[in-house]
Amino acid sequence: MGPNTETPVPRAPEVPRPGAGALRVILWLIFLGVIYVYGWQVTQINLGELGRKAYLIRPLLRDLIRPDLVERRPRLQVADTGIGLDGATPPAPLQTGGSGRVTINPVTAKVGDPVSVAGEGFAPSRPAEVIWFDQSGVKVHLSKTSTDVSGRFQATVTVPNVIGTEHHVMVEVGLEGTTLGPSNALRLTLFRMVETVFLALMGTTMAVFLAVPLSFLGAKNLMARNPLGALIYYAVRTVFNIARSIEPLILATVFAVWVGIGPFAGVMALGIHSIASLGKLYSEQIESIDPGPIEAITATGASMLQVVRYAVVPQIVPPFIAFTIYRWDINVRMSTVIGFVGGGGIGFLLMQYINLLQWKQAATAVWAITLVVAAMDYFSAVVREKVV
Amino acid sequence: MRGAAVRIENLTKIYPDGTRALNGVSFSVTPGEFLIIIGLSGSGKSTLMRCINRLVEPTSGKIFVDDVEVTALAPDELRRMRRQIGMIFQQFNLVKRSPVITNVLSGRLGYVPPAWSLYNYFPRDLREQAVAHLTTVGIPEKAHTRADQLSGGQQQRVGIARALMQDPKLILADEPVASLDPATSHSVLRYVEELNRRDGITVMCSLHFLSLARRYGTRLIALKAGEIAFEGLPSEIDEQRFKEIFGEEAVEVEIA
Ligand SMILES: Nc1ncnc2c1ncn2[C@@H]1O[C@H](COP(=O)(O)OP(=O)(O)O)[C@@H](O)[C@H]1O
Ligand SMILES: [Mg+2]
Repeated sequence: MGPNTETPVPRAPEVPRPGAGALRVILWLIFLGVIYVYGWQVTQINLGELGRKAYLIRPLLRDLIRPDLVERRPRLQVADTGIGLDGATPPAPLQTGGSGRVTINPVTAKVGDPVSVAGEGFAPSRPAEVIWFDQSGVKVHLSKTSTDVSGRFQATVTVPNVIGTEHHVMVEVGLEGTTLGPSNALRLTLFRMVETVFLALMGTTMAVFLAVPLSFLGAKNLMARNPLGALIYYAVRTVFNIARSIEPLILATVFAVWVGIGPFAGVMALGIHSIASLGKLYSEQIESIDPGPIEAITATGASMLQVVRYAVVPQIVPPFIAFTIYRWDINVRMSTVIGFVGGGGIGFLLMQYINLLQWKQAATAVWAITLVVAAMDYFSAVVREKVV
Repeated sequence: MRGAAVRIENLTKIYPDGTRALNGVSFSVTPGEFLIIIGLSGSGKSTLMRCINRLVEPTSGKIFVDDVEVTALAPDELRRMRRQIGMIFQQFNLVKRSPVITNVLSGRLGYVPPAWSLYNYFPRDLREQAVAHLTTVGIPEKAHTRADQLSGGQQQRVGIARALMQDPKLILADEPVASLDPATSHSVLRYVEELNRRDGITVMCSLHFLSLARRYGTRLIALKAGEIAFEGLPSEIDEQRFKEIFGEEAVEVEIA
C-alpha cells in the first residue's frame, strides 16, 4: 500500500569451505552404511525366499479371484403347522402359500407325547423329513420318510425335550435339482462385517461422549488462564498423548484377556484409542477458534448462550463431525484387523479361515473388507466435504 | 429516528500487562455526527471503540450514551444498551461457515427470546427485514451464500447489514476499510455515510487514511499514544498538520 515498498537487495548465500563439507558427507555416508548393514541383518531380509517359497502363497492368490460366494443346495418344498405344548394354543403356521399342507394330531401335547403327522399336496415319491422348529429358531430332526405317488405321507413322532410352549412341526420334501444361493461363508462374512461396522460405530460413539467434554479441558485457550486450569490442561493432554501412543492392537489383546475374546474387547480397544485421538483433534479445533465472531455477536447484545450458539457452535461442530466420521472410517479399518487378536468382527473370521487353510472362504472375507473399507472411505469423504 | 449522543469523561484503560492504551480521554459526540478517529497503529483507537460498548472494561472514567452511564450498567442493562450500538470490524468478524442471512439475523439476537436461538428460529418479518438490509448494501442475491465465499468488500457489507439489524442509534466502526482496497473502501464507507445522513445514526469510525477521513467525517479526533492530540473539523487538518502531530516518518505510510 505504501509508495516506498522496498525490494530487498539479494545477498549471496554463504558458501562453506569445500574441504570441510566433503569430509562431513563421507562421515555421514559411513554412518548410514553401518546402520543399513545392521538393519539388513537383524530383519533377516532374504529376497530369494520371495521367489523360492512362492508356491506357499499361490493357493491364496489363486483363490483370491474366486471367493466362495454362492453354493448349490437341494431344492426343498416346505410346509409347517403350529403346535402348542402344555395346553397352549397352537401358533399360526410360519410358511403360507405353498401347495403342501401338514396336519397333526393332537394339536396340543406335552414333551414325550406321540404326535401323528400327515401331509398332502407334496411332490410325489420324494424323501421327506419331519422337523421340530422351536421358538428360538433351533431345528430338531425327528423323522425321515417319503411321500407316496399321490404326494401324501404319514409319520408318527415324539415331542422332543424342548422348552417354551409355541412350536412348529415342519416338513421338508426334497425336490429334484438344486438351487443356487449365498454360501455359508458369504453369509457368515456379511454377518461379521455388520458386526465389524457396528463395533467401530460403538467404539467411536463411546469415544465421542468422553472426548467432547475432555477436549474442553484440554484446550489451552480455555484452561491456561489460572494455575489450576493449566494443571488440568497438562494432565489431560498428557493422558491423550499416552493413550494415543498405545496401539489399538495391543489394547485389544489386553481387553480380550480382560473381558474375553469378542467384539466387546474390540469396542473397548478402539474406544480408548479414539478418545485420545479425537480428544486431541477436538482440543486443537477449540484452540483455533476465531475470537472475532464471538466479539461481534457479544457486541449485538446477545446473551452468553446465544454467543455460544451463533459464534462458537458453527466454528466447532462441523469440524467435530468431520473428525468423528473420519475416525469411524479409520476404526472400521482397524476393527478388521483387531479380530486377529481376539477383538471380534470380520478379522476373527478371516483368521479362522486362514488357520484352516480355507482360502476361498478367506478370499470372501478379504473382498468384503476391501469393499467395505473403500465404501467407508468414500462415504466419509463425501460427508466431510458436505459439513465443513 | 435520532442518533445517540456520546460523552466520554476522563477515560483511562490500562491492560493487565501494564500497557496504558488510553490516558484520560474526554470528548463528546452530538447526535447525527460522523466522527472520525485517526491515529497510528497502537494509538488506542480499537481500545476506545471497545470501551464504549464495554467489550473492553475501562480502568477508570465514565462513558455516557444518551445520558445513560454505560460504565455503571449491570450485565442485563449492558446487553440492552449493546443492542442499540452496532459495531463494524476491520476483520469483518462474520461467522464464516454460516450463510449470510444468518450472519445478518444474528444482529437481532439481543431482541429475540433466547429459546428461539436453539432452533435458529427467526420469524418471517425479521427474515424479510434482513433481506431488505442486504438490499440496502447492494447484495440481496448473496443471502444464502456462505459468508466465507464473499469478497472482503461484500463481507464488510454483510457486517453493516448485521449492525443495521440492531436498529442502532450509534455505529462503532473500527477501521472498517483497513483490509480493503481503495475503491472498495469508498463503496463501503458510502453505505455508512448513507445511514448517517438518511437515518441520522451517529457514527464513530476509526480510519488509517487522512484522505478518507477528510472525505467522510463531519468531525475528527486524532489519538496519539492514548491521548487526544487534535480535535476539530476534518478541513482543519492537512498533511502539514498531520506531520506535526504524528511526526515526519508517519506521513508516508498513513496517507494513501
Ligand atoms: N488485550 C491487550 N492486552 C495488552 N495490551 C493491549 C491489548 N490490546 C491492545 N493492547 C495495547 O494497547 C495499545 C493500544 O492498542 P489498540 O487499541 O489496539 O490501538 P489501535 O487500534 O489504534 O491500533 C497498544 O499498545 C496495544 O499493544
Ligand atoms: Mg486497532
